[in-house]
Amino acid sequence: MLNYLINRIKGAVIVLFLVSIITFMVLMILPGDPAQLILGTEATPDMVKDLHVSMGLDKPYYMQYGSWLIDFLRFDMGESYLYGESVSLLILNCLPVTLSIALFSMIIATLVAFIFGVLSSVKKDSFIDYFSRSIMQLGTAIPSFWIGMVFVVFFGLRLKWFPISGYVPASENFIKFLKSITLPSVVLAIGEFGLLLRIVRSSMQESISQDYMEMARVKGLSLISIYFKYALRGAMVAPLTIIGMQFAKLVGGTTVVETVFALPGLGRLVLTAVEHRDIVLLQGLVMFITTFVILITLVVDILIMFINPRIKTFERGE
Amino acid sequence: MDKIVNIKNLTINDNKNNILVNGVSLSIEKGEIFGLVGESGSGKTLTAKSIINLLPENLDYKVDLIETIGKNIVDMTKNEKRELIGKNVGFIPQNTIFFLHPMIKIKNQIGDGYIYHMNKSKKEALEKASMLLSKVGFENPDDILKYYPWQLSGGMRQRVNIAMALMNDPQLIIADEPTTALDSTIQRQVIDLFKTINEELGISIILISHDLALVKHYSNRIAVMYAGQIVESGFSDDVFQNPKHPYTQLLIKIIPTFNMKKNERLSEIPGFVQETGRGNKGCVFRFRCPKAMDICSEKVIENNIENNHYYKCNLS
Repeated sequence: MLNYLINRIKGAVIVLFLVSIITFMVLMILPGDPAQLILGTEATPDMVKDLHVSMGLDKPYYMQYGSWLIDFLRFDMGESYLYGESVSLLILNCLPVTLSIALFSMIIATLVAFIFGVLSSVKKDSFIDYFSRSIMQLGTAIPSFWIGMVFVVFFGLRLKWFPISGYVPASENFIKFLKSITLPSVVLAIGEFGLLLRIVRSSMQESISQDYMEMARVKGLSLISIYFKYALRGAMVAPLTIIGMQFAKLVGGTTVVETVFALPGLGRLVLTAVEHRDIVLLQGLVMFITTFVILITLVVDILIMFINPRIKTFERGE
Repeated sequence: MDKIVNIKNLTINDNKNNILVNGVSLSIEKGEIFGLVGESGSGKTLTAKSIINLLPENLDYKVDLIETIGKNIVDMTKNEKRELIGKNVGFIPQNTIFFLHPMIKIKNQIGDGYIYHMNKSKKEALEKASMLLSKVGFENPDDILKYYPWQLSGGMRQRVNIAMALMNDPQLIIADEPTTALDSTIQRQVIDLFKTINEELGISIILISHDLALVKHYSNRIAVMYAGQIVESGFSDDVFQNPKHPYTQLLIKIIPTFNMKKNERLSEIPGFVQETGRGNKGCVFRFRCPKAMDICSEKVIENNIENNHYYKCNLS
C-alpha cells in the first residue's frame, strides 16, 4: 500500500516537471515581446533592452527556466505586469471563488447523478429510467452560457431570489455567500451531471448483474442493503474517477460561467492574463491549476485504493 | 415424511418462447440429500433457482405449485418470499469467485443475513461465523474474517460460502455444482463436509451436478435431467443398479473407472443437448438415443415401477 502510494507520488512529480517545461516553452515561443507590451509602442529600443535585462529575458532559456522553477517551488511566481501584484496573491484571492462554485456544483451534480443513476438502474426501463436518460442528454446538450443567462433573467431579475452577479465571501455573510454561488453552481452542475449519471447508471447495471447480487438476494437482505451495500459498492470506482476529473476540470475552467455571473474567479484571471499577454501571471496560473489537478487525481486514486483494495495487489504485480 | 420442497409441473420459457424446462415435478423430503444430475444446459440450475425465487427476470415460468420449506411461494409477496428463503435456505454457488463481494471483507458480508433475519448484533454474528468457519475446516477462522475474498484460494472461498450458507441454521441447502471450480482433493473434502452437515444437523441438501460418480455416493435419491425434463428419478441405489432410461445407462457407462487401459479413450455420448424444440411431442433424447424407435418421435410413455422409480421412455 505504501509502495503504491510512493509510486503514485513519484509519477505525479514527473508529470508536474514535464508540465512545467512545456508551459515554459509554449509561453516562450508565443509571439509578442512582453517588454514591448509593457512599455507600449512609444518605447525606444534602448528602453526595451534595459527592461529585458532587468526581467532576465536576455539570459538563455534554460537559465530563465531554472530560476523560474526555483521561484515557483517557493510559491513565488513573480509579479503580474498588469496588476502590479504578486501572482501568488492574485491566485489566492481568486481561488476561494472558483473552489466554492466548483465544489458546490460537484455536490449538486453528484447528488443528482447518484439518485437518478441508482434509481434508473434498479428500475430499468421504467418511467424514472426514461426520465433520467432524457435529462442527462438535455444536461449535456444545453450550453452553459445560455442556461446561465436564462437563470440570470428568470431567478435573478424576475423572481429576485438570487443576486445576478458578484461574489460575497463566506467570511462576510454566509447566507449571502451561498446565494451568490448558487446560480453559477447549478449552471455548472447541469453541464456535469449528465456524464456522471451515465457512468453511475452503467456501472450500477454491471454491478447488479454480478454474482454477488444473486447471493445478496438469496440471503434475503433488505433492498437498501442489496443495492447500497452490495451493488453501489461494486459500482463506485468509475464514478469516483469521473467526479475527480470533473472537479479538476471545473477548478481550471469555469471561465464562461464566471464571466456570465461576473465572479472574480480563476477562470476570469486566466482570461485577463491571456487577453493582456501577462505571461508571468499566465505561467503561474497554468502551473498552479495543473498542480491542483494532479493533486486531485492523486487524492482520487488513493480513495479508490480504499474502496477497491485489490488495486494494491495488482500494482505489486501479484 | 415431510416434504421440504415440492414442485409440480414447472415450465420455464425464455423471451423468444423457447422452452427451457418442460413440465418438471419433483419433491424433496426432510433430511435427505437429493441429487439433480444432467449435462450442461439440461435445466438443473433453473429448476433449483425456481425453488429460491432466483429465476432471471427475462424468463417466464408457469407452475402449478412450488413449495419451499412446506409453503407455497407462488402466490407470496416479494417480501414474504425474501423472508422465508433468506431465513431458511442456504445457497452454495457454482463459481466461487464473485459470489462473495470482492470489495467487502468476509466479516462484513458473512453475517449480514443472520443479523437481518435473526435480529442479532454484529458481535454475535461474528462469533457464529467464526464457529462455522472452524467447522468447515479453517484453523484460524478469526483471521479469515479479516480477509477480502480475493485473498483466499478457490477452495477456501467455497468453504466460506458453505459457512455463510449455514449461518441461519437453514432447513435446506441448495448446492449448485459446488465442486466444479475446485481441484479433486478439495472436492472430496467439500463433499464430505456436506455429508457431515446433512447427518449432524439434519439439513436437506439439493446437490446439483453433472458428475454422476459424485452424486452416486452421497445422495439418497436422484433425478436425471435431460433437455429440460426429468427423464428418470428414484432412490440412488435403484437408479444406479437398475437404470431404465437409455440416457441414464449411458451416463453410468461413461463414468471413468480405474481399470481403464492405457491410451483408452474416455467414452462419451455423441451429440449435444438440444437447445430448441424441447416442447415438441415425442422423446427429447431420441436424437442421441442408441435405442431410438419410430414411435419415439410420436410419443413417450411415463413409467412408475416399484420404489417410486420413475422413468420416461417407450422401452420397458
